[in-house]
Amino acid sequence: MALWVDKYRPRELSKLDYHKDQAENLRNLCKQSDFPHLMFYGPSGAGKKTRIMCLLREMYGPGVERLRNETMNFTTPSNRKIDIMTVGSNYHLEVNPSDAGMYDRTVVIDLIKQVAQTHQIDINGQREFKVIVISEGDELTKDAQHALRRTMEKYVATCRIILSVNSTSRIIPAIRSRCLGIRVPAPNETEMTAVLQNTCKREGLVLPPELAKRVIEKSDRNLRRALLMLEASKVQQYPFTANQQIAELDWQVYLRETASQIVSEQTPAKLEKIRDRLYELLSQGVPPNLIFRGLVEQLVNNCDMSIKAKTLEYATQYEHRMQNGAKHIFHLEAFVAQFMNIYKKFLAELVMTDDF
Amino acid sequence: MTAKKKPWVKSAFSQLNMTPKASPVSAPYKRTRSGRATTSANVGTANVESTNVRKPQIVDLTVNEDDEEVNAATPIVSENWMDCFAPSTSEDLAVHPKKVGDVRNWLQHCEAMRKKYPAQICLLTGPAGCGKTATLRVLAQELGYELQEWINPTDCEEINALGDQPSDGTYMGSQLEAFKSFLLRASRYKSLLSAQNKRLLLVEDFPNVLLKDAAATFSDLLDEYISYGKSPLVFIAADSKSRMLNISYKLFTDQLKAKLRIEHISFNSIAATIMQKSMKRFTTLMQQQQHKSLYKLPTQTVLDSIVVCAQGDIRNALINLHFGSLKGAPSMVTKQLNVNAPSKGRKRKATNTLKSIGRDESITMMHALGRVFNPKYTEDRDKCLLHNPEDLAEAFSTEPRNFVNFIHANYLPHFQDIANVNSAVNDLGVADMLLQEYRDESLSLVSLTIAVRGCMVANVAPVSGWMPVRGPKRLTIEPQLTPAEQKLLGVAYAGISKRLYASEYSSFIKTIADNTK
Repeated sequence: MALWVDKYRPRELSKLDYHKDQAENLRNLCKQSDFPHLMFYGPSGAGKKTRIMCLLREMYGPGVERLRNETMNFTTPSNRKIDIMTVGSNYHLEVNPSDAGMYDRTVVIDLIKQVAQTHQIDINGQREFKVIVISEGDELTKDAQHALRRTMEKYVATCRIILSVNSTSRIIPAIRSRCLGIRVPAPNETEMTAVLQNTCKREGLVLPPELAKRVIEKSDRNLRRALLMLEASKVQQYPFTANQQIAELDWQVYLRETASQIVSEQTPAKLEKIRDRLYELLSQGVPPNLIFRGLVEQLVNNCDMSIKAKTLEYATQYEHRMQNGAKHIFHLEAFVAQFMNIYKKFLAELVMTDDF
Repeated sequence: MTAKKKPWVKSAFSQLNMTPKASPVSAPYKRTRSGRATTSANVGTANVESTNVRKPQIVDLTVNEDDEEVNAATPIVSENWMDCFAPSTSEDLAVHPKKVGDVRNWLQHCEAMRKKYPAQICLLTGPAGCGKTATLRVLAQELGYELQEWINPTDCEEINALGDQPSDGTYMGSQLEAFKSFLLRASRYKSLLSAQNKRLLLVEDFPNVLLKDAAATFSDLLDEYISYGKSPLVFIAADSKSRMLNISYKLFTDQLKAKLRIEHISFNSIAATIMQKSMKRFTTLMQQQQHKSLYKLPTQTVLDSIVVCAQGDIRNALINLHFGSLKGAPSMVTKQLNVNAPSKGRKRKATNTLKSIGRDESITMMHALGRVFNPKYTEDRDKCLLHNPEDLAEAFSTEPRNFVNFIHANYLPHFQDIANVNSAVNDLGVADMLLQEYRDESLSLVSLTIAVRGCMVANVAPVSGWMPVRGPKRLTIEPQLTPAEQKLLGVAYAGISKRLYASEYSSFIKTIADNTK
């Protein structure tokens, strides 16, 4: 049994549910003999990976769907062994270099060399190049991106790279200019409703429109999240009711509690507890920028209008530092301390004005 | 003989015969180390002859207690003041009696096992200047052992530098060979000149080859030694802060120690009370007839400050004492005796330290963290920090990232107000960001200084009290998937990154997997 997200994922460009014009463009792209490096960008859960797979199928035929796992070994210059899991077919290879952390540079270079230096044996294969799909390209370190830039040019004859990124702002301009950028916006509510209803119909379920609306609201227009949410809700309770409880992401719940704790008490001891909670989230693997964003959203919702602007101003400052720094916890903690400080002052002033 | 006096070819080796007459000739040959040594020695003798008062200025700081026998022979070096103060009996040792007892027991044990297992091995460790070598020398003398010490040969290196030997492999091999043959010969055959029958091998100067990832070679070497050696073997290794540089940690692994039954005796730095006692002994020695012309008795405050300053390093204390009590330089003494502001009421005894001279103060991580978290201010009107943040940062400039992480892991309990925390953690964040910038080397020190100073200045009202120091947390993200969860994802799960899995999939998948069982 597979997840709904995978089971009902469109496999062909013609069967995509939304952004149909774009699908048409992609098909035209495949018809031409050559094919540049591509960069799919857009928010998480918008369908970048789906489009990439459809594109590959359009190019290579159903062979790309015969997936297999492969663990690749790399040795860094400092003699550290790294194992990276990849998914691939005869025609493509999908890899997450960001899993290698700071060693992603080695992974990027070695992987591309390995793939690019072997030519396709099958002469009847439609294309003479292989494709490397790099997911979460924006998580690549600057170092790795610079390495990628050179290898991209060098092996262009035998290998094409498709990057899947959330935001182009973290990709160096040199790579941005070498790729054809394809924006995949998040689906709007009607498109999402259609997908959810369609999925339920194929599963033989009845989805009340109110519930669909609530799921879409909760999922931040992230289709993958919406589908997973719906499936999790289904196993919890079926038949659906309009106001049933929707399964939520546990880290979001955890973050919400953390935010309310911050508002409840502003002392160094509390900050220490908050830090432990943040560590907990980070060690679960939740990306720090999501934590930061979630925290800011929750705090801004919880605080008075007069300090909202200030909170946001500081949030931008610390978020910027977090992107440049190495220890995310420092900056998360700094932001929490800053908010506590503002909030405490605000409360003190409130008491003062009440007295008079 | 005549040929030597009237050489028709100038021999390059002539400088090795340290005849004073040859020195002007040898001036152009300053290339080799021995040539330089001669000239400097000659300058030294000239000084001695000219002014009697300035005699101590030719003190050779590299000479320590270890060189007793050698020094006794030649008249010039016998002026070495340090020998006069070297301990001659085990009572004179400044080392804790228990440790002396340990070493003595081991030597006696060797004596007892001499017939059956002559090749015993012992390892002495401890901080610099805590009397490891001195203890061994004194005890060897008392128990009638002849010490034979390994010194790394330097001549191989010089040949190499001149380019006579093309490959560096030969150099490495030859030193190891030399060391092996030393172990073999020195343990079996006694010197023609010595009267003692028992020999004790000492390795303090570890062959360089062994220090470069050659733990395996080293253990083989010792293995062999156990089988052929005829004398006890002692290794002396000074402790070092960094693990990678620590010989006792790198070469003497626990398995090796257990396998070869190596006796490991670790010395502590010398306690202040014992140090004071031995300072007394030094001062009484100073008042003896032959030294009276050289020394005057220093005041008690000077003695105390020397003890404080030396931080358990007896050799350093002796050097400072010597400098502080020279008769010829009265002005210097008062200058050196620059008494620092005593830290308030922590100890009854005065904590003066020598200002301009003294041991380079090295502090441990814990110590430095304490100074960062409990900033002390001078009591002057213009309050300034007692411990300069720049100095603290400088002390850890080799591992800035580590120190900043430690500060971050521990600073919170020391703060009372969230506003202060805010400013401290703000600086930590800036430091972290600057540390990431690898293109400028000086930035790491700058960022460390920012972190240290930020923490110290921000902490207006430190929380006092004992708080355990915690290490920085290391995050390892390894999502553990149960088989059911893996099955749900199928082959595609390898394509999902850890972050994505944690942020989007994990909680839903858990629910789905749990409920479909």
